[in-house]
Amino acid sequence: MEFITVDNVSFRYEYTDEPPVTVLRGIDLTIRQGEFVALLGHNGSGKSTLAKHFNAMLLPTGGKLYVDGTDTADEEKKFTIRRTVGMVLQNPDNQLVSTVVEEDVAFGPENLGVPPEEIRRRVDDALKTVGMYDYRLHAPDKLSGGQKQRVAIAGILAMEPACIVLDEPTAMLDPKGRREVLDTVHKLNRERGITVILITHYMDEAAGAGRVVVMDDGEVLMDGTPREVFARVEELRRVELDVPQPTELCYELRQAGVPLPPDILTADECAEALYTLLS
Amino acid sequence: MLSDITIGQYFPGDSVVHRMDPRVKLILTFVYIIAVFFPQNWFGLLLAVGYLVFSVLCSRLPLRLVWKSIKPIIPLIVITSALNIFYSDKGVELIHWGFLKITSGGLITAAFIAIRILCLIAGSSLLTYTTSPTTLTDALERILRPLKVIHINVHELSMMMTIALRFIPTLIEETDKIMSAQKARGADMESGGLMQRVKALIPVLIPLFVSSFRRAYELATAMECRCYHGGDGRTRMKQLHMGRLDVWCLLSMALLIAAIVTLNFFVPAVV
Repeated sequence: MEFITVDNVSFRYEYTDEPPVTVLRGIDLTIRQGEFVALLGHNGSGKSTLAKHFNAMLLPTGGKLYVDGTDTADEEKKFTIRRTVGMVLQNPDNQLVSTVVEEDVAFGPENLGVPPEEIRRRVDDALKTVGMYDYRLHAPDKLSGGQKQRVAIAGILAMEPACIVLDEPTAMLDPKGRREVLDTVHKLNRERGITVILITHYMDEAAGAGRVVVMDDGEVLMDGTPREVFARVEELRRVELDVPQPTELCYELRQAGVPLPPDILTADECAEALYTLLS
Repeated sequence: MLSDITIGQYFPGDSVVHRMDPRVKLILTFVYIIAVFFPQNWFGLLLAVGYLVFSVLCSRLPLRLVWKSIKPIIPLIVITSALNIFYSDKGVELIHWGFLKITSGGLITAAFIAIRILCLIAGSSLLTYTTSPTTLTDALERILRPLKVIHINVHELSMMMTIALRFIPTLIEETDKIMSAQKARGADMESGGLMQRVKALIPVLIPLFVSSFRRAYELATAMECRCYHGGDGRTRMKQLHMGRLDVWCLLSMALLIAAIVTLNFFVPAVV
């Protein structure tokens, strides 16, 4: 089922004393309910700007964007859209509002006017889902980066969204924190059927998605499964993007004349292919 | 060094005082601070002090905590009461030295002032020790809600207070980081005169300001993403309930004031 429909969306920043800057140039994209989409692109490709369109933080200057059939430009439906499409930002420190973990998670549903008992239930449920229930009475500044980001995800989850957009949620975390956050996101997608749009710099994170969308200069350059997208190594390099390390290794070996398949994503697959080749 | 600073001296516990409705606690503290100035004789003052001592014992706070809150203001108490010695010419003249004159009445006034300030400080620290800053802000918001009539947006004020409390540790951590970064580039913050040290702080304060603005911007985005639109139509997860305990506490305070006022009528005033 189509969940988010991006119909020829363009966006530009208008300035009074400078020429306008065009960030998005006619994007067409359809995201189905329950999908796990990774959005890739180097800095300035427009991926964060596009992300802010999904929950009506920005409105297209051209074209239309529909979330669950609702036009995001409809001012009256603004909060319905933001509740349906939750957004997690990069810096966990700058998105936690309260001095107590559980009160922070309650912030979203409180804004929506949910009755107190229902908020309590949602907060406990969200904290258990992200594995932070034992920390519910802690102060956020005493938590690790990965834990803070999980609290931020719980805060979005408590609004019971159908879709979560994560804007480089792991960029400021250590490898352990990254793992925690990604595991949580995958779990939400798998067990709750929540649509996930993950904006990332890390190719290995994108490799774990169901679908990869590559953006460059405000346009969608590639759109397909990780295998399809990462097989196009030269094109990706041209837009200053890497491929996952195993894919890169196999690519280099192939260039050197070693017959390896072009669609290798994980280290295990790579080892397997090399093993078959050598035995 | 900076991370040693603790704001809001909340001391978690599960005593009767901790469990009281924060609104009642806030009002009681406020009323008590005023009530401490009612007694005009030793009996009344003794009652007021006794009430406080009883409350502190009920809170099961370590007494050194209460002492810690009083210690820094001892010089203030000494100066205030010393000045008050000369403000009364009641009673027997004890010392007459030029234009300075100390009477027994003056000494009693000074003692009263000292005890009153002590009660005032100990009483208000009892409030902050037994109530978390967030709860306190929350209580304040609910008590002041009627001010909406005169267009004071209490919800926004309390939201600002909560956010300030939330970001104090974050910004302290950041200051530490910036200071280390500047020291690593050869900034000297520990030597030189006052002016030089103040000047050395500029390269710390400017990055701190810039980053706070960026944080504020991002926080605003995050809050908007979570459907924040002010206090209208907002519910709260934690509801405050006034229980039987709170009613008894309010009653006890009323009783204290009644007793003090009655004593003022029947016992001759000493101040």
